[in-house]
Amino acid sequence: MKNTLRQILHARNFMIGFITIMIILFAVSIYPLFNQGSPLDMIGLGTFFKPGTYISMYDAVETAPTYTLRLDGAAAKRVEAKLPQADRESMKRWLVAYGIPDEAVNTDDLNDLLNLWNNTYDPDARPAGLTSAFRKSVARIDTVLAGLLESLDVRVYTEEPESGEMRETAQIKDNQYINVSEVVNTRQLWLGTDNFGRDAFKELLAATGVSLKIGLIAGVIATVLGLLLGLVSGFVGGIVDDIIMFFANLFTVIPGFVLLILISYSIGQEQRGATVVAAVIGCTSWVWTTRSVRAQTLSLRNRDHVNLSRLSGHSLPRILITDILPYIASYVVMALILQICSGILAEAQLSMLGLGPKTTETPTLGLMMFWGMTYAAHQNGAWWAYFPVILMIALVSFSLNLMNTGLDQVFNPQLRS
Amino acid sequence: MAKIMLDVKDLSTKYITRFREDVYAVDRVSFQVEEGKSLGIAGESGCGKSTLALSLMGYYFAPLHYMSGSIKIEDREITSMTPDDVRKNILGTEIAYIPQAAMNALNPTQKIIRFIEDVIQAHDPSKTRKDIRDMARQRFEVLNLPADVLDKHAVELSGGMKQRTVIAISTILSPKVLIADEPSSALDVTSQKMVIKMIFDLMHDGFIRSMIFITHELPLLYNVTDDIAVMYAGQFVETGSAEQTVFDPIHPYSRGLMHSIIVPEAGTRDQKLEAIPGTPPNLKNPPDGCRFAERCKFASPQCCASDIAFSTIGGGRGYRCIYSEDRLKEVYAHA
Amino acid sequence: MKGYKRYFLKKLLWFVITLIAAVILNFVLPRLMPSDPIATITNRITEGMNNQNAVMQIYREYARKFGTDQPMWKQFLIYVGNLLKGDMGVSFQQYPRKVTDIVAASVVWTIALQLPAILVGWMIGNLLGALAAYIRKGFDKVLVPVSLFVSGLPAFGLAVTLLVVFGITLKWLPISGGYSYDLLPSFSWRFIKSVIVHYQMPFWSIVLIAIGGQAIGMRSMSIYELNADYVKYSRFLGVKDMKVVGYVFRNAMLPQVTGLALSIGTMIGGALVAETIFSYPGLGSTILSGISSADYPLISGVTLIITIMVLTMSFAIEMLYGVIDPRVKAAQSD
Repeated sequence: MKNTLRQILHARNFMIGFITIMIILFAVSIYPLFNQGSPLDMIGLGTFFKPGTYISMYDAVETAPTYTLRLDGAAAKRVEAKLPQADRESMKRWLVAYGIPDEAVNTDDLNDLLNLWNNTYDPDARPAGLTSAFRKSVARIDTVLAGLLESLDVRVYTEEPESGEMRETAQIKDNQYINVSEVVNTRQLWLGTDNFGRDAFKELLAATGVSLKIGLIAGVIATVLGLLLGLVSGFVGGIVDDIIMFFANLFTVIPGFVLLILISYSIGQEQRGATVVAAVIGCTSWVWTTRSVRAQTLSLRNRDHVNLSRLSGHSLPRILITDILPYIASYVVMALILQICSGILAEAQLSMLGLGPKTTETPTLGLMMFWGMTYAAHQNGAWWAYFPVILMIALVSFSLNLMNTGLDQVFNPQLRS
Repeated sequence: MAKIMLDVKDLSTKYITRFREDVYAVDRVSFQVEEGKSLGIAGESGCGKSTLALSLMGYYFAPLHYMSGSIKIEDREITSMTPDDVRKNILGTEIAYIPQAAMNALNPTQKIIRFIEDVIQAHDPSKTRKDIRDMARQRFEVLNLPADVLDKHAVELSGGMKQRTVIAISTILSPKVLIADEPSSALDVTSQKMVIKMIFDLMHDGFIRSMIFITHELPLLYNVTDDIAVMYAGQFVETGSAEQTVFDPIHPYSRGLMHSIIVPEAGTRDQKLEAIPGTPPNLKNPPDGCRFAERCKFASPQCCASDIAFSTIGGGRGYRCIYSEDRLKEVYAHA
Repeated sequence: MKGYKRYFLKKLLWFVITLIAAVILNFVLPRLMPSDPIATITNRITEGMNNQNAVMQIYREYARKFGTDQPMWKQFLIYVGNLLKGDMGVSFQQYPRKVTDIVAASVVWTIALQLPAILVGWMIGNLLGALAAYIRKGFDKVLVPVSLFVSGLPAFGLAVTLLVVFGITLKWLPISGGYSYDLLPSFSWRFIKSVIVHYQMPFWSIVLIAIGGQAIGMRSMSIYELNADYVKYSRFLGVKDMKVVGYVFRNAMLPQVTGLALSIGTMIGGALVAETIFSYPGLGSTILSGISSADYPLISGVTLIITIMVLTMSFAIEMLYGVIDPRVKAAQSD
């Protein structure tokens, strides 16, 4: 036993998988302590806010003290942000059409380009070869450009509650800065928000926790069922074995996925909590474990130590627990790990079909994916709403699979390379 | 003097384990087998007999590696040939092998005739399927094997039938040397007899011209082979005719081995059965000097000092011991 | 041939038994639950209606149609009778289209997509697994973790990733549907080309997942077979290395064939979800729309068809297995 444990701890695959799972579990349980509130709170009004640090504009204006920083590129950056490359290309196209030689227009040097533009552009001109739609779009760019190079102060006015008079409360210069850590209200949204305006990172960690729980419940149910049925079937034999194997064979071929759909659908949206879904998954995936446990019990039942036990008049449960179970324990652990993994995948797939747990109750990885897809996050470039979910599912199942291969190598030495 | 079919000189091979450790499994083994003769190799499990069998074929793949020495089959040196040359021109045609576990030696999902086709065509691609079938049927007939075996899969054959089929396939190309590695160990006594008779009939009928028989059952060797070599920890410790080696062993190990046999004769019940104490050395770092010294009743400090040469004393007899033959005889007389 | 016949009859009997069981389950499971499907259906259809009488009328109409006012066994007989006539009821969502028609239209797409994809993935996976076992060293070190990672991915995850990379970012391939929406199904060159282009991403996402799962199993089986005694024996008889590798490949593949028969249900389940990502006009998208609109007859029809599809495929694979593995025949004649 001790030796086996030492071997397992030295199996590299197993340890990599195990440590990854532990890190995930740690993050799942620790993060809520730093970021209070329900992961289902719809904090954002709107869908798919980008990842980043969100700073209250209101508080930013009010934050004191302010600092003056003279940074060289600041003005250029501001212009750059307002004048993307595509617009510069449009400007160049207009200029060239107007008669400026191609090599004289340099879209990389902003000052140069703007000077040239201000000197040349004539809103009423109709250079040949340009559609009126294009001319209109260039005109729009021109309005944006007006005043871009001069840095005017921004003035903040507040309405007097009684007189309704506007009073200037702040004047913000272009080189005035505040320290973000001094702003009262900021929120770090590592993964932005999802379609409901929920903090996607927080939701992801909570969902991972729930999905792992679903996997664990489903895995334990499937393994316990499979173990019991397999042990009884293999050890008792006879008619009991025939009956159990009849159903096992039946449910090997009837796809568990179809059963899952039918049962989940029949239960109805209202009754479908995470635990119920987990139980349904567990109850539809006992077949594999049953078959293998039975096969191994069959090979053990006529061993000498088992016969001795039987002759000594030990009870059936006692023989199963003390004489059979220890020999198949390693297998059962491996089966459990695989069942957990497939439980997580099954939940995700069910949710993708809209048969997952109730959305308003718990987040799960499958539900996050489902809503992301329903709101076409992938077509809107909102990668944060689905990609981390896929990555998390892959990471969890990869780690579990790694643990399993590691154990496999310990228990089946032939597979070692 | 009869023609020498197999001439092995100072052959050494080793295993390289997956931890990159060298295990010197065969160490400077020399012997000759003449035409029409059979050599038995005896030794405990793990002494290197089976490795020697594999090493003799000149076809090495991981983890077994050739180190030094020469193997000549009818004056043809095979250790200097390329592996593919050995595969095509030596294996099966010059030297053939009957493995220890004949039960699993045949591919379970292939018809016997298909395998025979693969074996024969590997050496002579010009042979047609029909030629091969005729050839196989003839040979099976001579060996009293039913011809319908050819169109069966290995899974459909009984254990004894599988074993005999393997022997027939191994010798189908009439090799000059046949190496049989405990061909009978997994069979019941009746099948054992049948298998051994079959192998010797093959030699008698001229399908094979010499053979090496490996087993840990000494009485079997005494009854069936002409010469016997005793192997210990990767080395030959004694060679000689079957008669001499069994009844007049020179090396202390051979002597110990003979004493551990029960011969069913008058007075056996009163005889003390002697076992050799201790275990063979680890071949990862074999001891200096005599490898048997640790377990030898007659060992002296010199035994472990330096390497012991193999002394030949004519008539194919030889032994690896620091003492002379006479000295040993003397010691035994007093023991 | 006798052993093979017995094997065939045994498998056929099982096929029939499982088929019957599947039909029973398909019938019983939804009815075991406390909720009243007819009420749900009526609610959906009569949404916004104020006339209670009319609502009751519709309720009774549906109850009669489904026979829910009859005892269970009679309902089952009606159900089976209708099934035999190919009548699976009328879809609520796409009223008055028959479920049989909808399912028939989508099952073609699903079979055309999944059958080749699963087979291709299975073959490539086996090939890679065998190579990894044979070559070991570097190739093995890369293939094992990669396959492990891919096989752990949900099919839809890979589908979305492919879609975003090749469909949205690179714009190489269309992102949804089975063919361009401005075309009508016909045997024109343009239509076929459009189908082929739309086929790529769903196809490869299923193939890649299948590769990952198969490669791992095949690698273990091949390693096991490479250590078998017959490999050593064949080599020492001078049989060419490529021939020996052929034996090993074949023997390692045989368990993979039965493995495919047993796992095809799971694979199809995953692939159906991947279909929905691409809005592929197959069963996956059909069942998704059925579920989201509580179209009970449609869901029931699709699940039944999926079951029959899976049963038939695994039956066919087991038949094939009986032919290619002589051990089956040997086992039967004992």
